[in-house]
Amino acid sequence: MMWTPMLGLPEFMNPGRLVVLLVLPALIVLYVVLLRLKRNVGIRFTNTGILAAILPKQSRWRRHLAVALSLCSLIALSLAWARPLGVEKVPRERATIVVVVDVSQSMLAVDVKPNRLDAAKSAARAFVKALPSKYNVAVVSLSASPSILLPPSTDRSAADRAISTLEPEDGTALGDSIQVALDAVALAPKSADDTVAPGLVVLLSDGQSTTGQSALQMADRAKQKKIPIYTIAYGTDTGYVDLDGKRERVPPDHDTLAAIAADTGAKSFDAESASELNDVYGNIGSEVGFEEVRREVTARWAMYALAFAVVAALGAVSMAARWP
Amino acid sequence: MSSFPNFAPPAGPPAQVAKNDVGAAATILAPPTGPSLPLSKLAPEAALRRLELTIVRRLEGFLHGDHMGLLPGAGSDTNDARLYQPGQDDVRRMDWAVTARTTQPHVRDTIADRELEVWALLDVTPSMNWGTEGVTKRDLGIAGIATIGFLSQRMGDRFGGMIMRQDSIKRLPARSGRMALYGLLRTMLTEPIVPDHASGSMTLAAGIEQMVRTQRRRGMRVVVSDFLTPGDHELDPNIEPDWERSLRRLAVRNQVLCIEVVDSHEIDFPDVGDMLIRDPESDFSRYVNTSDPGARARMNAASAAQRERVKIAMRRAGVGHIQLRTDRDWVEDIARFVLTYRRVASMLHAPPQGVAR
Repeated sequence: MMWTPMLGLPEFMNPGRLVVLLVLPALIVLYVVLLRLKRNVGIRFTNTGILAAILPKQSRWRRHLAVALSLCSLIALSLAWARPLGVEKVPRERATIVVVVDVSQSMLAVDVKPNRLDAAKSAARAFVKALPSKYNVAVVSLSASPSILLPPSTDRSAADRAISTLEPEDGTALGDSIQVALDAVALAPKSADDTVAPGLVVLLSDGQSTTGQSALQMADRAKQKKIPIYTIAYGTDTGYVDLDGKRERVPPDHDTLAAIAADTGAKSFDAESASELNDVYGNIGSEVGFEEVRREVTARWAMYALAFAVVAALGAVSMAARWP
Repeated sequence: MSSFPNFAPPAGPPAQVAKNDVGAAATILAPPTGPSLPLSKLAPEAALRRLELTIVRRLEGFLHGDHMGLLPGAGSDTNDARLYQPGQDDVRRMDWAVTARTTQPHVRDTIADRELEVWALLDVTPSMNWGTEGVTKRDLGIAGIATIGFLSQRMGDRFGGMIMRQDSIKRLPARSGRMALYGLLRTMLTEPIVPDHASGSMTLAAGIEQMVRTQRRRGMRVVVSDFLTPGDHELDPNIEPDWERSLRRLAVRNQVLCIEVVDSHEIDFPDVGDMLIRDPESDFSRYVNTSDPGARARMNAASAAQRERVKIAMRRAGVGHIQLRTDRDWVEDIARFVLTYRRVASMLHAPPQGVAR
């Protein structure tokens, strides 16, 4: 995120000031002309064969490099003068986080110790605990009939309890659960100035969607509401669960989850163990804890100019005949 | 040493120059536009009449001159005695002493006295258009030629010149007499200056080779140059310079004098601060900190070694070597050389085995 402005030119608050960049070609032309004219200055000397062998060669490229870096510094300064806008991360004041946890039968698989559900529950509890206290947290269970276990509230002990009470159920309805999560976001209490805190969904799932609406369709709806859905594909590809004496393989659906996250402008993660899951929740915690704000990043561009100028100055000093 | 000419070197710029004119020292910035010495200051003709350049090699020619010829003929130097041929030999040439000793009539042969033909090769490539002490190396070389010319002005002696430009060699025919010599010197002085980085790939070796090829008659040859090859940084005297072989070929049949023209700041590298230094011939161009005393000392040592190499190469080729410097009086240098030359010339110019003197 930090380096996005380096890749392309950012927007500017005063684009008119970019006109000063037109001076740079003139400077380059001037430099080339001076290089040409320089052939007429200096002194003639006859015995240059010996001179070339005796005296050290002063490289031309260092001279050109110093000039090029000075020009880069000027470019960066000109851009800074035009007051560029960049994306900056600031801590989010308030938010509604909907924690969706899969409770289908496949969560009983033991490829994650002690089993998938218990590990997910403890990780989710830790995640909720780490969230800033002003954030609303809602808990939604993901099964064939997803339900809101806890409407958005800042009560962390209630969220803790709600997560603890998760029990395995039948079926996986990804689309429906996203719908329910969006409903949960809408339940968030309004603040004093009648604005709604931005909603975020953290969806943990470990299997294929078996019933309900299309997950991607629901993702589109979330996108319209500008609610990012962070997804966690949980469990190993070789995970299995014994149901009714029959062994079922329950690999997580990486592709669908990744598509949901990409569609809503969030990130998707894979977690194959309890510790990985903790890391992933930690990452998501830091992701949702900050929001991206467009701000003036003049200082950053001035810093680039300073870096170029320092290198150019060092090059120029190293070419000087007398080192101080 | 009262035999030295008392001739003051030219001091300061000529009278008619502008105020800011620094004379020949301007050549460190740009090539000169004309000669830095007038014709009248090249050599003191009258003072040089009392000196004589020793000629040790035998000459061939067609006129009666003052120098020992190669072949028998009417002359003043006696050669072998041989049997009198009735009807062919003049009885006035009978060698009575030999006739008495041998009881056979003998005549005394003489070696013809021949005139001397001197050819001077003047290097006018851009590196000669340089001088920091009131005279350019090129004009100093012409002054050296003038001095040698007046030293070798005997009856019937001819003096010719070759001007080695960057692209061609200009030949000035050999004529006798001092007016012809003045004409030759004037032509050399007014020869257009070769601009810097002129096209052409003439080397000193090629110039000497051309002199060997075109001037076949035995005589004296004077080669005037700075003997610097552009881009050559060899200092080892055991490695031959590229002109040495040509010089040796020239010395087989001729008595050769080399006039090495040197500027004082080629030997003592100048202290002019951080400076862009360009070569008038090659495309060398480099910033050099000339204020660095260590670098200057290394440069001076290398220049001295380079001059030593030139000197050794000339000695190896069996030619006479005169070094003229722009900050010294060339007449005095040449006069001192000529006085020493009387004693060493016959050794110095000993021809290679199998070649007549």
